[in-house]
This record gives sequence, structure tokens and C-alpha cells, in this order.
Amino acid sequence: MNAPLATLPGRIRAANLAQTLVCLAVLTVVVFGLVLLFGRTGERIAVLLSVNVAAVVALGVFCGNTGIVSFGHGAFMLLGAYTSGILTMSASLQRTALPQLPNFLAGHELSLFAATPVVALAGLALAAASGSAIARLAGASATIATLGLLIILHSLAVGAREITRGSQTFYGITRITDVMPIFAVAVCFILIARFYRESRWGLMARAVRDDAAAAEALGINPRQTRCFAWCLSGTMAALAGALYGHMLGAFSPASFYLSLVFAQVAMLIVGGMASVSGAVTGVAAVTLLQDGVRRLEGGLTILGYEMPAVFGLTTVSLGIAILLIIWLRPAGLVGGRELGPSADARIFANFGTPNEVAAEAKALGGNVLRTKGLSKSFAGVHAVSDAALSAPPGEVTGLIGPNGAGKSTLVNLLTRAYDADSGSAEFGEADLLNARTDGIAKLGVARTFQNLRLFDELTVYQNVLVSAIAAGHGDRDAASIALRELSAFELGDLASQRAAALPYGARKRLEIARAMAQDPGIILLDEPAAGMNPSETEDLANRLIRVVEERGTGMLLIDHDLRFVNRLSTRIVVMNRGAVIAEGTPEAIRADPKVIEAYVGRGRTATQVQHPETKAAEEVVS
Amino acid sequence: MKLRQCLLAATSAVAVAGTAMADDTYKIGVMSAQSGYLAPYDGPAYAGFQFCIDEINAAGGLNGKLPVELIVEDTRSDIAVGVQVVQEMLDQGAKFIVSSADADPTIAAAQITLPDGVPTMTFAGTAPVLTQVGEHVFGSYPADNQQGAVLATYARDQGFERVWLVKSPDSAYTLGGPEYFGTAFESLGGKVLGESLYSLNQPDFSAIVTTIAAAEPKPDVIVTWAWEPDFPAFIRALRGAGIDTQVMGGDVLDTPTVRGLGEVVDGVVHTSGGFPDEGSQYADFIDRFKSATGVTPDNNYYVNGCDIAYMIEKAVDIAATTDPRAVAAAMASIENGDGIMSDYTFKGTDRMPLRDVVVARITGGGQKEFILRSAADPAILPAP
Repeated sequence: MNAPLATLPGRIRAANLAQTLVCLAVLTVVVFGLVLLFGRTGERIAVLLSVNVAAVVALGVFCGNTGIVSFGHGAFMLLGAYTSGILTMSASLQRTALPQLPNFLAGHELSLFAATPVVALAGLALAAASGSAIARLAGASATIATLGLLIILHSLAVGAREITRGSQTFYGITRITDVMPIFAVAVCFILIARFYRESRWGLMARAVRDDAAAAEALGINPRQTRCFAWCLSGTMAALAGALYGHMLGAFSPASFYLSLVFAQVAMLIVGGMASVSGAVTGVAAVTLLQDGVRRLEGGLTILGYEMPAVFGLTTVSLGIAILLIIWLRPAGLVGGRELGPSADARIFANFGTPNEVAAEAKALGGNVLRTKGLSKSFAGVHAVSDAALSAPPGEVTGLIGPNGAGKSTLVNLLTRAYDADSGSAEFGEADLLNARTDGIAKLGVARTFQNLRLFDELTVYQNVLVSAIAAGHGDRDAASIALRELSAFELGDLASQRAAALPYGARKRLEIARAMAQDPGIILLDEPAAGMNPSETEDLANRLIRVVEERGTGMLLIDHDLRFVNRLSTRIVVMNRGAVIAEGTPEAIRADPKVIEAYVGRGRTATQVQHPETKAAEEVVS
Repeated sequence: MKLRQCLLAATSAVAVAGTAMADDTYKIGVMSAQSGYLAPYDGPAYAGFQFCIDEINAAGGLNGKLPVELIVEDTRSDIAVGVQVVQEMLDQGAKFIVSSADADPTIAAAQITLPDGVPTMTFAGTAPVLTQVGEHVFGSYPADNQQGAVLATYARDQGFERVWLVKSPDSAYTLGGPEYFGTAFESLGGKVLGESLYSLNQPDFSAIVTTIAAAEPKPDVIVTWAWEPDFPAFIRALRGAGIDTQVMGGDVLDTPTVRGLGEVVDGVVHTSGGFPDEGSQYADFIDRFKSATGVTPDNNYYVNGCDIAYMIEKAVDIAATTDPRAVAAAMASIENGDGIMSDYTFKGTDRMPLRDVVVARITGGGQKEFILRSAADPAILPAP
């Protein structure tokens, strides 16, 4: 039943294409259905619907791929509408409506088509100027920042009376009333948004969306990927704004303010923020609902029964629809995935030429991880103090110690998640402590996290793929590396599943596979076996041993399962209260009184009493 | 999918019902925002308009022979919906469009009605600029510049010499009103001492109040076209700071909520479109409306809506045809038309009607008292 794993990249390409077609089909059916069923009235609705599709798809390029809700897209729409309006306005009308227009803006009388590149550039310029600030932020603070942008642009437009007529109506703009050109723009926007979403940039943005820290550890720069999404989305929104302006023919800064922005965000949420088909479906559903209800509002006669006029139904019905959606389908009508067949669908079973599977890569040679005098305090607590250790290539170095010993802090210092207070850390020649957080991966150091950090909304395959892409591979190579890691960690059957849907053991394996896709010189494993049952732990141990033997990768292994650590490690480092207290072979560590004391407590080791608690502890240590 | 089918079925049923109507009626398209920022104006205006159209239809239609059919659409104060519904109304054969009470939707609608010259009249938009789109666009309410000029004349007659303007660039109304006042006030020999800007929905006016308090020489009148909730916040802050300078404002202060503010608004003077003197046509309208609907019209938008119905009747009567351009030309030729709120003249104007402006004073007891009724003096009327 399962198609061969090697054809997966080909099947994904086919599925992406099919999903894009489904998305276009939804739009086409709704638009032409309206025109065919209702004639001119239907065409009016289709025009508004297509403009909204363009605007909401543009909004979704940012919101969907970064997970940040933006209220700032009204600013881009405003900019696009005024820019296009001024450039295309007839000179005679411009003299009466905008007598004080600065010379460089006056009298261009461009065609709509010729104004398009200028509008796009204006949108891009605003996006680039605001992007560096907004891309630094995530979550609610980013949303507030986008709202700030909207307020600033609104105030500027109200203030620039010579150019915009201030808060007064800006009118005399060439109107587009025909559905076809607007439909064509909506189609182009869907194609661009779909292409971006599945491209390496879109994939990296979605990885950052799901877990910024994990993405950074893979070498992805969260700011850059967000900024790219913002710029693309802003440029598209400016064009959508121009379209909106030409549809209205007259508007003022208030036309692009909160009510417009809220309406568009609502459409995106109703449809599903995470996908392009969600944006299209949301617009279609909300528009059809509102237009259908609007026709009932004015009162009508059905089968001789006269219904009274009840105004406000549209607003009420939209409110109810949003409540129902949030209650029943929090991810929107479409949900997290694009509409259409997935790569596992039967129609693609015999599809696609097999992709080559990358050969096992040999880890880049012979670098040793070394730290000296590494220290870090949090509010006076010495989490790591003066830690010196080394981890050679091609071997597993165990790092053990009781809870709170500073093991995870050490890993976070090495990967620049924290800044060290003092000391040094080098991998080969490279100084880790002077690298950026997202530069650690490029130095050959990969990591996993104590509390599993996967890209939950990406598929298993995409989780590994984005890691290979982040390591600098081209699309084809990245695909073949991803296939290699999926088979090495036996995740092939789960390749098309969302990472969030995996069972625990598979999630743990996936995190290691993702790190290994970067061909690291050393991998820092922070409790990889935590929460696993004995047979899963056994299986993981075998895989890790194979990785070390076949690829020569170095490993720094933190775990509380000391049997597991003993089995894998050639050397063990023991930490307690932030300091390295012992270092040596597993046998030597077992016999080291300092280690037993750290685990069991002072005074017990000398007497060797057969106290049940001590015995249990010794068993663990051995 | 099911939902969509139901919707399509429902909409097609309505479309069929719509086309089944007879053709020997005069179709008027009405854009009426029943929610959003225009609802407080469009709602009463539409209620008054429909009340008088019902009266006209009960008497056999326009001039007793041509029944009126209304196509009413809620725009939710959304300009994009406004554009869409105006197109639909024209598709359905509307011969006249009554548009929302603001410049944005009216101008957007007027651009759509321009090719066929379908007369387009705003419910209560007062920005004088809105008729510049074409010869088919009409205001119905006394424009901001007329209100500003009448109020400025009254202020000068009271001996006021120095005015402080409080305005917001966020809307044409809140910006334009005080500016027109200032222009007229200066041409009558007064002086604009200074001005302060605020944002719509600004919660705190203490900075503005401090500036005014510190002004030297002191202004003897403060003029603002602020509306709710800005005006209540402003007047409370002003009186709270112990400044008892005369405050004057636009017709938007003519609401029960503002009058209900108590002591702080005692003595505030504002313009208004009309005043229901005892025994006047306006008072009679209020009685008729109240007995028919149970609702007391507590602002001028009701009666102005009714006036629009009779303006249309008169224009169609003069034109003796329903041809849109002829009706528009007939409307533009009306001189001293008989209105319930006040008489109106389109002839010689740029189609913002010349109508009497009332100046009224709020009393601390929640009432208003009549001060004067006057038309703006063309000599000092500020240009739009």
C-alpha cells in the first residue's frame, strides 16, 4: 500500500501542484458560479470577492507562514491605493482635486498596468523599512507592532493633505468594474503564495513559526525569514490595495483602517490561517454568507409570506460564524493543511521517479569540542562554574550528574542559547562563544533539546528537509539527505505525518534525525532517551552507535538513564553543582567516590552499608 | 458545501422575487448603514425618509400618480459594500440614489451614478466638497461652511473677538467645521487666537485644556466640531479646569446625550438644521411620526430624511419625467422649496442647498433653547 519512500519528493511536488490547482478551482468555481447564476449582480459580488482574495492571500503569506497575526497590512493597502490613484488620475481632475500635489507626483496619467511596478516598489520599500523592526518580534508583540505601523501610516495619510486630501475623500480614480482582470490578479497571487509556501524560504519561515529556538539551532535566521515573508506579503498587499482603490473609485484613509483590517483578518481566521486554500475558502465563505444574508435583510416575500426587514443580520451572522468556527474548528474551515490530495494519496502511488538517497556522509574530520573555565551564573546561582571538558570525534562522551548539575546549561552555553560569563569553548579551531546563535550549526555543532522541540505543523519529512536546506544544500540534495535520515531513523512510513501527530518515541527519533541531516561534526544530545521504554531505549542506542561508527560523528550525550550512557560512552564526564567533578572511562567513574557522593550523599560511600536506598543508587550508577 | 448551496438557493429566490416586481414605479435606491459609524445618522434619516415615502405612496405615489419602490441595502458603513450595492441598485433600475450621511460613501456612489447621471443625494453629509463629483450630486443638509458662517456671525454679534479652534484632522467634519468658522470669523473682523488638534476617540484632553488656559490674551470663545465621545471628554476637562469661556459647536451637539451632560454643557451654543417651534411644520411632523411609530424623533436627521422624500417628489414634478438627467436638472433649479425642517434653495448653489441654520443654546436642565434662525450671508460664506 505504501509507495516507496524514494518517490516521496516527486509525490510531494505532484501533491503541491494538485493542491494549488484545487485552490484555484475553488476560486474559479465560486467566481464563475456567481457570474453564471446571478449575472451582473453575481459579477459585482465576484469582483469584491476577487479583490478580497488577493488582499487576504497577501495577508496570509505573512500570517500563515510566520504565525504572526498582522493588522499592519492596511498600511500597505493604503499606500498602494493612493500611489496607484495619484499616478493614474487624469491630469485635469488632478488639478482640481489635488491642486497642491508636489510636482514629482503630478501629471503622470499612467495606465493601471504601468503603475503596477511603482506600486510594488512602494510596497516593498515600506515593507523593507518596517520589516527590520517587526521581524525582530514574535507573537503578540509583533502583532502590536504591525498595528503601530497601521496607525502611523494612517496618521501620515491624514496629515499629508497636499497628496491625499487628508481625511477628505480622495476621488476621481479610474474604476475597474470588470471581474476578469481582478480574477487574474487573484490567480497570480494564489500562485505566488503557493510557490512561496512550499519553497525553501516558506519552509524555513514555517519552521521558525513552529519553534524559533530549534530553527535557530539549525542555522536558520528567524529575523531574515520573517523579514522576507513580510516584504513579499507587504508588496502583494500594496498591489491588492491598489486594486481595492480602483474598485472603490473613492476612498479616504479611514477606508483602510481598523474595520477593513479586522474584516480581512476575520476572513483569514475563518478559512484557516496556515494555508493558501484557507485564505481563499475564508474569503469565499464570508462573502457568500454576508451577501446571502444581506439579501434577506431588506425583507422579502417568499411563497406569499412577507418577511419584515431586519437590518444588522449580516454583522450578527458573521459574528456567529466566527464563534462557531473558533469553537468547532479552531484551525479554520480548511485546517492546517492545504485542501487537496496529500503526497500519500492513492493517485500518486505510482507517481514520480525515485529520488536518489544520499550516501552516508562522513563527519567533517576530527574536530574536538573543548571548553575551559566555562562559567555562567543566574542571579548569583552558579549554574556552571569553571567547567572544563572535551569531547573527541567518533566517540560518545557521556555527561551525567544529578538534576540541577548544570548539564543543560552547559549545552545552552555551547550553542549560544545563553551568553557565557567567562571561559572558552572551541570546536576544532572555531570559537563557539563568539558565534551567533544561528551560526553554531554552520560550525558543525548540532543539538537536540531536553524538552523536544519539533516543527509541529510540518511533516516528518519537512522537519528533516528544512534542516538539510538550512545546512546550505540545494533542493535536490536536501531531499536526498532527508530521505537518508528518514531511513536511518526508521521514519519512512511516517514521512507525511505532521510531527505533532507522532508517538513519543518517533518524535524523539525525529529530533535526532533532523540534527543529523546537517552532517554535524558533533551532536549534543540532551536526554534523548527520557521517557522512552526499555525497548525503545535499546533501539535508540543501536542507532546512535551506528551513527558514530559509520559516520564518525562525535557525541556529547546527556541522560539520566545511566545504563544507556554507560553502554554508549567511551568516556564520561560528571558534573555536580555546576562544576565538573570527574572525568574518565565508565569503569573509573563507577568507582569514583566523588560521583557516588554526588548521587547518594556524603558519608554513605565509606561505610558501604547495605541500606536499600544506597543499593538502589549503586545499581543505577553501575 | 451544503451551506453554500443553501445560500445560493436563498439568494436566487430573492433575485427572482426582485425581478417579479412591476415596472410602473419610481425606484429609489437607499444606502443605509444600519451598523458602524454611520448608523447613528443613517438610521434616523432612513426612518424619516421611509415614513414620508409611505405617506407619499398612501396618497397614490409621487404627485399622486407614481408609486415609489424602495431598494434598501445595509452598507454596514463599509465603503466597499456601498460601492457594490449602488451598482446593484442601478442594475435593478434605480432612478434616484439616496446615499449614506458621509462624504466618502456619497462620493464613491456618485462616481458610479455619474455615467448615467442618476441623481444622488446624501442623507446628511455636510462636507461641501461632496458635490464636486458632478452635476448629479446633491447635499440635503446645510453644509459645514453655512453652519460655520452663521455661527461666526452670531459670535461676532455677541461681541466675541478672539476664538480658539479645537479640531481633529481625522475627519472632514471635525476639521472643516472649525476652519470654516475661523475663516468667516476673521472676515467679520475677529481673530483666530490659536488652535489645538485632537484625535478621534482621544480619552484625555488635559493637554489641550492646559494650552488654552495658558493662552494670553485669553480667547473669549472656543469652537469645536467634536462629537461623542470626544466632546463630552473635552467639555468636562475644560470646565473641570475652571475655564468658563463660551463654547460653541456644530450640529452634531444636537443630541439628547450631549444635553444630558448636565452643568458642564450649560450655555453651550451649537448650530442645528432646524428647531421644532410650537405650531411649526416640524412640530407637526414630530407628532405624526410619534403617533405612527411610537418613536420620538429626537434629532434633525429624521425630519431631514422626510424632507428628502418631498424634494424628490418636487424634482420629479418639475421635470415631468423620470429621466435621471432631467430630474437632476429640475432638482438643481429649485428655489425656495418648501421643506419641513426648513426651506431650501438649490438654484445658484453648487448643489449644497442653502437652508436656514438654527443657533440653539443648551440649558443645564437637559433642554435646548432657540436663539436664532438665519441663512448664511453669501458675502462671508467660506469657499469649500
